[in-house]
Amino acid sequence: MIGSANLSAWFPEGASTHAMGVDEPFYGIYVAAVCALILTVGLAVIFLWTFLRKKNDPDQMPSTGSNKILLGVWVLGAVLMAGFAFQSGIPGFVDQNVAPYGAYQVGVTTHESGWDFTYPNGHVADTLRVQVGQPVQLTMTSADVSQNLSIPALRVQQAILPGRTTEAWFEATSEGAFPIFTGSFSAMTHDSLSTALMALSEADFAAWLATVEDIFAGRTMAEVGELLYTSQGCAVCHTLDGNQLVGPSFKNVYGFEFLTTDGQTVLADDAYIKESILTPNVSVIDGFQPVMTPYAGVLDDREIEAITAFLMTQSERGDTGGHSEADPANESGTAPEGDTDQEEK
Amino acid sequence: MHTVTKSAADQVRSSFLGGPHGFGAWFTSTDHKRISLMFLAWTMGAFILGMTLSLLPLIKAVGGPGIGNGILLQTLTYQRVVMVMAWLVPALPAVVGFFVLPLQLGAKNMALPTMSRCSLRFYAIGLILILFSILLGPVSTGWTLDSPLAMLDTGAFVTLAFGLFFMGASWFVTGINFVVTVHHQRREGMGFFDMPLSAWGFYLSGYLLTIAGGIFAIVVLYLASSRAFGGGLFGIEADPMAWRTYFWFALRPVTYFALVPAVGIISDVISGVARKASAGYRTLVGSMIALAGIGVVSYGVSMVGQGLSPAGSLIFSFLSLLAAVPVALISFTWLSTLYRGSIACASPSTFSIAFILHAGAAAVLGLFMASPSVGNYLGATMFASAQLDYVLWGGVLSAFFAALHYWWPKMIGRKYNDQVARIGAALYVIGLNLALVPRLMMGTKGVPQDFAGLVPTAIGGAEVSSLGWLFLYSGLSVIAGNLLVTVWGDEAADTNPWGASSLEWTVPSPPPEENFE
Repeated sequence: MIGSANLSAWFPEGASTHAMGVDEPFYGIYVAAVCALILTVGLAVIFLWTFLRKKNDPDQMPSTGSNKILLGVWVLGAVLMAGFAFQSGIPGFVDQNVAPYGAYQVGVTTHESGWDFTYPNGHVADTLRVQVGQPVQLTMTSADVSQNLSIPALRVQQAILPGRTTEAWFEATSEGAFPIFTGSFSAMTHDSLSTALMALSEADFAAWLATVEDIFAGRTMAEVGELLYTSQGCAVCHTLDGNQLVGPSFKNVYGFEFLTTDGQTVLADDAYIKESILTPNVSVIDGFQPVMTPYAGVLDDREIEAITAFLMTQSERGDTGGHSEADPANESGTAPEGDTDQEEK
Repeated sequence: MHTVTKSAADQVRSSFLGGPHGFGAWFTSTDHKRISLMFLAWTMGAFILGMTLSLLPLIKAVGGPGIGNGILLQTLTYQRVVMVMAWLVPALPAVVGFFVLPLQLGAKNMALPTMSRCSLRFYAIGLILILFSILLGPVSTGWTLDSPLAMLDTGAFVTLAFGLFFMGASWFVTGINFVVTVHHQRREGMGFFDMPLSAWGFYLSGYLLTIAGGIFAIVVLYLASSRAFGGGLFGIEADPMAWRTYFWFALRPVTYFALVPAVGIISDVISGVARKASAGYRTLVGSMIALAGIGVVSYGVSMVGQGLSPAGSLIFSFLSLLAAVPVALISFTWLSTLYRGSIACASPSTFSIAFILHAGAAAVLGLFMASPSVGNYLGATMFASAQLDYVLWGGVLSAFFAALHYWWPKMIGRKYNDQVARIGAALYVIGLNLALVPRLMMGTKGVPQDFAGLVPTAIGGAEVSSLGWLFLYSGLSVIAGNLLVTVWGDEAADTNPWGASSLEWTVPSPPPEENFE
């Protein structure tokens, strides 16, 4: 293991508040299961040995039936064991699934080339750094194939699925570097996508955070949007020169009207762009497939505003504020829906 | 007991084995006994192929020559696909069921003889297509064929999918045939509760095969069409949980619950070798029905920790834990049957004990998987795949060997060397547990399922495990070799070597073409 040496046959040394909720039921079931197995197989072997066929045995032995009291005790034992397995796992399960209010939020996106951990300040990294003693909530999605986030030392395991967001949370209890496994490998390169979690002290985490660039510092919103266009992988499907790939080009999108696959006409204003980023497959432009991964939970409002500002710079109608020239609302001076949304925030 | 008066060769000549010879006679045969033996050859071929494919990851795990991850993933995919789809699911019903069921019911043949042949042909076409896809371009999606991976994989996925379609169709046709045979081919006067327990096991597995085979054959075609034409139910834009749900609904009852026919077989074998009627016939029947039902309704437990909602995880975990009651009833009834029996010191007894150990291990491992917090953590790890290995290499294989050694004299008409069989059994049991316990340990340390040898922490445990596989393969070679040499032996088998009371032991070994003449 990358972390401290661990000689135990089962489990790496626990390094999160979840460890107790997994390890204790496991060892309880382990003891019960081994006893049950030894008892059953042991009795079978003893009977085999004791009642081996003898020369004077009859051709057919008399049927003995089952002792009803012993049968009842036997079944009761099995029911109690199953009940213990279920009941003992519930507290830990609830703990695994309910994150504390105010947990530190990190967005996770997996893709062909690895992991993107997006911190609240917009920094994107391929390793996960967290502060010991601080609950951390991961909001995860995959850009391509199904993966798993598995951090054994922290007893964290959650599926990461394309087109869905899943969540996991943990609170690291000891400092160190711990491996993060994925249940899958790159579909194209077959490389392992494993990475690492660095659990740091409060001081070390603060110091690291200070060294990490705030992408908004010293940049215009459009410049931040351009940065996100590259770092979030938008460029893979959306060109800036008008060529169509999997998704529409970002050239001359903002402020223009488009026909959607369900026959509606939509104006690519702030509201539509926000909707297209968070829930991209609700209103898809005609001629394209609903294949984009939702970014809900990955990008926050400020980052979406930055991307919108970047799209304005790529459009001939970028300075119209999302008003279509053909839009009568524009002529009458009525604020389009997108602008209203922005003002209400 | 019947006294042997003829040589083995004479007995064979007057049996179904002495009937029409040649490729054409066997190819067109609809005799259930010939179908069974042909299934034995095909499934053993699949098993040996699966064993061979297992070697590559093992060599890599112990630091063998550098093999690319791509080839390893392809190997692991085909190893699991072949072992699960072409062996684990069909082996007991197709080999043991086809041979034994009509004999136990007092019938001349299956109710639908042409469909018996159809089962075999679909199986053969399926296996050939699966292998053909390796030549066209190996697939590396893993055996669960996760839909986004299936869409992006660069191999001949559509060919593989058609192979799996035929495999599912074979299960479906086999299942229908079993159910209809039990309903219509029972000897006059034989009620449902007069049937031997293995006939009950095959009857219930008939339902499971019909449901699983039908659904799997259809959804795998949908998956192939999504891949070929884009879009569709399992396309790249679809929710991957859709495929996982269909897949596990179809496959869980016939993979993890492939032990249902095994319970029937072991019940008969224990009664046979102990020369004692089962201590709880109706208890066993009820338990098998309950297990089959729980197998269907608890399918979602295979998705715990793999995208299933928290509420769904709790519900399916609870449902799967209900299996504790029938498992307890079955184990107690077997122990009661052995108690004060007259137990033969013979290989079927040894394999029955091996079954109790391995199926028991698979059952108690189910407790870990159904404990909500533990299952959520272990659901996608090697711990989960080791549980399936305990079912496949443990429970089903032990039952398969118990059945073969119990009915082999009836099938072939010749005796085998029992001492050698027991040596093979010992090697097999030691090897299997040495191979799988380290995998359970690696699973708790977070090693992802089905990726032995690819993750750095697997090294170490993987070496011990590999040693276990070596023992296991040695045991299997001894067992298979011992049975195979009997084909050329001349020691004739008795009609009823175990002193058992079911109908198949009333006909000569091997049975004549029409069974009851």
